[in-house]
Amino acid sequence: MDQLVVAIECDPTQEVICTPEFVNELFETHTVFSIGGFDVNRAMLLMFLAAFIAIALLWFGFRKRRVVPTRFGAAIEALVSFVRDEVAIGIIGPDGVKYFPYLLAVFMFLLIGNLFEVTPFINFPVTSRMAIPLFLSVVTWLIFVIVGFVKNGFGYLGGIIWPKSVPVGLRPLVGLIEFLSTFILRPLTLAVRLFANMVAGHVMLSLMLVSSYVFITNAGNLGIRTGWGFLWMTIGFGIFLFEIAVGVLQAYIFTLLSAVYIQTSVHPEH
Amino acid sequence: MEALSGPLALIGYGLAAIGPGIGIGIVAGNAVQAMARQPEAAGMVRTTMFLGIAFTEALALIGFVLYFLAAG
Repeated sequence: MDQLVVAIECDPTQEVICTPEFVNELFETHTVFSIGGFDVNRAMLLMFLAAFIAIALLWFGFRKRRVVPTRFGAAIEALVSFVRDEVAIGIIGPDGVKYFPYLLAVFMFLLIGNLFEVTPFINFPVTSRMAIPLFLSVVTWLIFVIVGFVKNGFGYLGGIIWPKSVPVGLRPLVGLIEFLSTFILRPLTLAVRLFANMVAGHVMLSLMLVSSYVFITNAGNLGIRTGWGFLWMTIGFGIFLFEIAVGVLQAYIFTLLSAVYIQTSVHPEH
Repeated sequence: MEALSGPLALIGYGLAAIGPGIGIGIVAGNAVQAMARQPEAAGMVRTTMFLGIAFTEALALIGFVLYFLAAG
């Protein structure tokens, strides 16, 4: 293979190495097929695949109740009980079991979606498309706002805008900051944190591995710089391992923060 | 001015990342100290540390968003 196609908007017969005009093109995907004017692209298929894998893992992990679980069943059970005991019950409290299904669904989907970044032949984190983290954080936002109003009535809003634990002179300022932070910054940072981490990881991996490919195979006749190629490849695989850790950690942090935000609505005085 | 907006936005993001960088360093350093002093509380400390990091990081993330807004 003499040519290397990185971008979609690329004519491989003209250019030897097609570089993306703008970094966004790394995250655009082809339309695979369309149903009645509704285009289905690779990112959407991967999203469904992530959901399917999450369901399949849980289904096969808990298909049969055994006294002594299989190794696979024990691993899935450890994952599920981690989300339930450490996140749902550990953060929200004993009534956190109610929110456990949502937290588990988010955790499994994000874990698999993030790990797609380092899965061979997929190599695309679905969570690096802003729509997915943003949608999940809006769902979290709706849950904690609705729970806050249901549990505390309008005292929830009052407690945020006019906090009783602060001296009177400071209340308008603190109230304004709290209002902005609760209703605007929380969902925004929740989404952007995941999105930014995944985008940065995908860009770094693409850069390192593509440049090592170019240098080692001499695609594009840049001259053989095998030494540089192997250097980039080594760094690339280092980042590969690092990205596994980042993917797991970001899924955990998203779930943890969702739980914390719900907890602040359930028990607003803490 | 139009030509400068991209570089200026980059500098702005860099400035926005300084504070959170120092803050995360303080949070993580103190968490390590707490874990070393009381290893049995390590789980609780770790959870709280992630929370502290997440809240500190928010400023850097706002800077990241503002970079895209300003660079246009």
